Amino acid sequence: MKSAALSARNKQGMGELSHHLVEAASKAGARHADALAVADTGNSISVRNGCVESVEREDGCGIGLRVFVETAKGLAFASASSSDVSPAGLRALAEQVVAMARISEPDPDSIPPVGADHPDAADVASWQKRHPDREAGWSLDDARQSALACEEAARSFSSEITNSEGADASFGTTHVAYASSDGFAADYAKSSASLSVSVIAGTGDGMQRDYAWHRALHISSLRSAEDIAREAASRAVSRLGSKAMQSGKATVLFEPRTATSLLGHLIGAINGRAVLQKRTFLAECAGQKIFPDFVNIDDDPDHPEGMANRLFDGEGTRCSPSTLIDAGQLTGFMTDRYAAGRLKTRATGHARRGLTGDTSIGPSNLIWRAGKLDQQAIINTIKHGLLVTELIGFGVNGVTGDYSRGAGGFLIQDGKIVRPVQGITIAGNLKDMFAGIVHVGSDMTWFGSTAVPSIAIEGMTVAGE
Amino acid sequence: MPEKSHHSLPVAQETLHDMLNRMLPPGADDGDLYIEQSSSESLSLEEGRVKHISASTHQGLGARVIKGEAAGHAYTDRLEQASLMDAAMAARAIASSGGKQTPIAIHDARPVLQLYQGSNPALQVPLADRKRLLEKLDALARSIDPRVRQVFASISSSFSDIHIIRMDGAHVHDARPLVRLNISVVVEENGKRETGGAGGGGRFSLERMLDGSEAERLVREAVRLAVLNLDAKAAPAGSMPVVLGPGWPGILLHEAIGHGLEGDFNRKGTSVFSRKMGKRVAAKGITVVDDGSIAERRGSLTVDDEGTESQRTVLIEDGILTAYLLDRQNARLMGMTPTGNGRRESYAHPVLPRMTNTFMLAGSNAPADILASLKRGIYAVNFGGGQVDITSGKFVFTTSEAYYVENGKIQYPVKGATLIGSGHEVLQKVSMIGNDLQLDPGVGTCGKGGQSVPVGVGLPTIRIDELTVGGTQA
Repeated sequence: MKSAALSARNKQGMGELSHHLVEAASKAGARHADALAVADTGNSISVRNGCVESVEREDGCGIGLRVFVETAKGLAFASASSSDVSPAGLRALAEQVVAMARISEPDPDSIPPVGADHPDAADVASWQKRHPDREAGWSLDDARQSALACEEAARSFSSEITNSEGADASFGTTHVAYASSDGFAADYAKSSASLSVSVIAGTGDGMQRDYAWHRALHISSLRSAEDIAREAASRAVSRLGSKAMQSGKATVLFEPRTATSLLGHLIGAINGRAVLQKRTFLAECAGQKIFPDFVNIDDDPDHPEGMANRLFDGEGTRCSPSTLIDAGQLTGFMTDRYAAGRLKTRATGHARRGLTGDTSIGPSNLIWRAGKLDQQAIINTIKHGLLVTELIGFGVNGVTGDYSRGAGGFLIQDGKIVRPVQGITIAGNLKDMFAGIVHVGSDMTWFGSTAVPSIAIEGMTVAGE
Repeated sequence: MPEKSHHSLPVAQETLHDMLNRMLPPGADDGDLYIEQSSSESLSLEEGRVKHISASTHQGLGARVIKGEAAGHAYTDRLEQASLMDAAMAARAIASSGGKQTPIAIHDARPVLQLYQGSNPALQVPLADRKRLLEKLDALARSIDPRVRQVFASISSSFSDIHIIRMDGAHVHDARPLVRLNISVVVEENGKRETGGAGGGGRFSLERMLDGSEAERLVREAVRLAVLNLDAKAAPAGSMPVVLGPGWPGILLHEAIGHGLEGDFNRKGTSVFSRKMGKRVAAKGITVVDDGSIAERRGSLTVDDEGTESQRTVLIEDGILTAYLLDRQNARLMGMTPTGNGRRESYAHPVLPRMTNTFMLAGSNAPADILASLKRGIYAVNFGGGQVDITSGKFVFTTSEAYYVENGKIQYPVKGATLIGSGHEVLQKVSMIGNDLQLDPGVGTCGKGGQSVPVGVGLPTIRIDELTVGGTQA
């Protein structure tokens, strides 16, 4: 029966759905279309104080369609998503989105999903060989045991651990298929497992909480429950007795966990669409040196440790490794086909596509290449500074680069860690901060799809007492 | 036989009845089925064109079984017999033994007062009219000031139709509209760029959003903020008195105390407010409420996502902690009464205790007197987002319109700076409370546990004697 085949929640099922959607769009009057079908199945379990606190099971499927219609003034487009994958549902979605596109304003620079630099059959075959589909490797019971072991190890780490927010273990698989009206169709499946724990040290107004987590494509590369537990508990204990530090200039050392946010700010600022709209402080900086010589940052869609490997992007464009920052120099902007067309450059394979909405731009695996000194050696060079282990708030202005965020960590004086610090802010401007990097650590660490070392920046302002 | 409901359910009532009876083991404390059908539409304008219109339609069911501190959840968007029964059995997984509860009949719950329209706002105004409004607002922004280089405008609406079948068979229905208009602009002068934004909305018709005067006010506000920020100087760094303006600066309450008073954290003893019930947590004269029952507000709910009727909960009365925000599970475990704060982002998310509209009641000071009292400090009237660590109590929120003040007089605007304080201390440092309580324009979204829900905040002008200002001018 056709509807049964349509709802199969695997790559084949999603492939059929995306294909039928593109067909339905063309029947409904679309000139061009592309479609995405995504099925998610997952399980998660949380435990607290040695007991199961929650078990969750997810089973969802969504379809997204983008259509382009011909108008007197050029191509106009619209997009829509739905969870109704019945044949009638596909038809209704196609008709709805075509009607919406007819109301949209045409854009003369519009690029329909036709003729992208797609991977060919040989690319697909060799990719499949290197990245075979496989499950994450957990059963619900395994996940429960891991969560229990992780929480138990964190709670028993020290007598100063007084409470627990519990441990979570989750695993699942996503099946994705993409099809465009130029006949390109491709799919992939991705599984992952993750384990996290959060515990509390101290009592009353002196309580401190910290956490640790890890996520991997397969449990064979997941950090052990004990390792994650030790990190969370030792972090929480080390924060006991935190207080503010004096206001003034300081060298700020971001550990890898907090340095990932700096990479995030860079990526937001070299987004081709933000450049077109002058929404970024780096809009005029292509080809310029924005970091010191020893900073090198890559985007690698095919890395053995990365969680964001991909053969093609959200428009079906072939992905390939690129260097974003080469010896401190910004090599160019990240683009989808639309931004590339307007910026008169090549599409870099960074189109990102959700079920609803236009394509946006995003990285694959980001790698900030390691430097020479380990974290302790960097600390030894700092006369007055702050090791930042926590950042809170959203005080970053992407248009101006102005930066002001809440922070916690450790006071550094004369090359040594003195005491824990909280209740302060660190501030500067990202342009100055990027240029003011004095050390890149040798401790590059992976967090999902991002690998970052410790980063030390001179001349930031701390606000405290 | 269960009585037929007058609200249309996307699943046969017999199926729901079967699910409920199979799902609930003897000794279950609670459990429910949550069926959601939602749709949304959004138009966005950039570079002078409404280039993109998008829509989404989703439906699904969440099944939940609660026993003691444990909960089993299953979510599915396949509303057919076999998948639904699978979901029911998966939700039951937390219960150790088999067996059946006594049969439950589904019946309509006692009706409650509706706080907003029960129809989809998207059906009230054609897409073409919404498009024209955005084009008009774009032209207005550019005509107000020649320094305006970019205008981003969006108008969105959503509608969620929700059925909750509780363990006792009570069937609760709610239909929730939500509309939102957002404007942001980029201005440029002598190569220097700045941005400003404004937004508004609530649980009401799109017609009201299109009425014009409010939309035009938002455009003027966005341009004013962007231009103001062109002249902003570096903010000071360090501890100093801060005066907060009325309305959206109420985000202070949301971050500093609201999250810390959510029932889950307090039951578990992980909040800095745990075990402070009945104790002083704010200066005399301060009363803070969470009120989900205000008609048409963004944070309001006729009933929460467990079917509990919304209410006004006094969290802090004259400085003393009087209540927590509670869902059914945490209320039961704490021996308290649910406050109508059990919320979930969608059928595919678990219920958590969350805020609705959180605000401080007005005091007696004239706002001008409060500003005049500031010898050297910051007057902050607009904010971006905020965040809190509920265990240490440290919270932040970031200014988007603030001024440096000396001897009671505004000196100059300052660049966006993050303010940081301690939730359990900050309200004890409030020394003046204005008579000008305002609620925010309907823009708040709160994130917790990976879930986003619409919320509201409100505040009169207040003076805080000491807060750390995260500028660059040390």
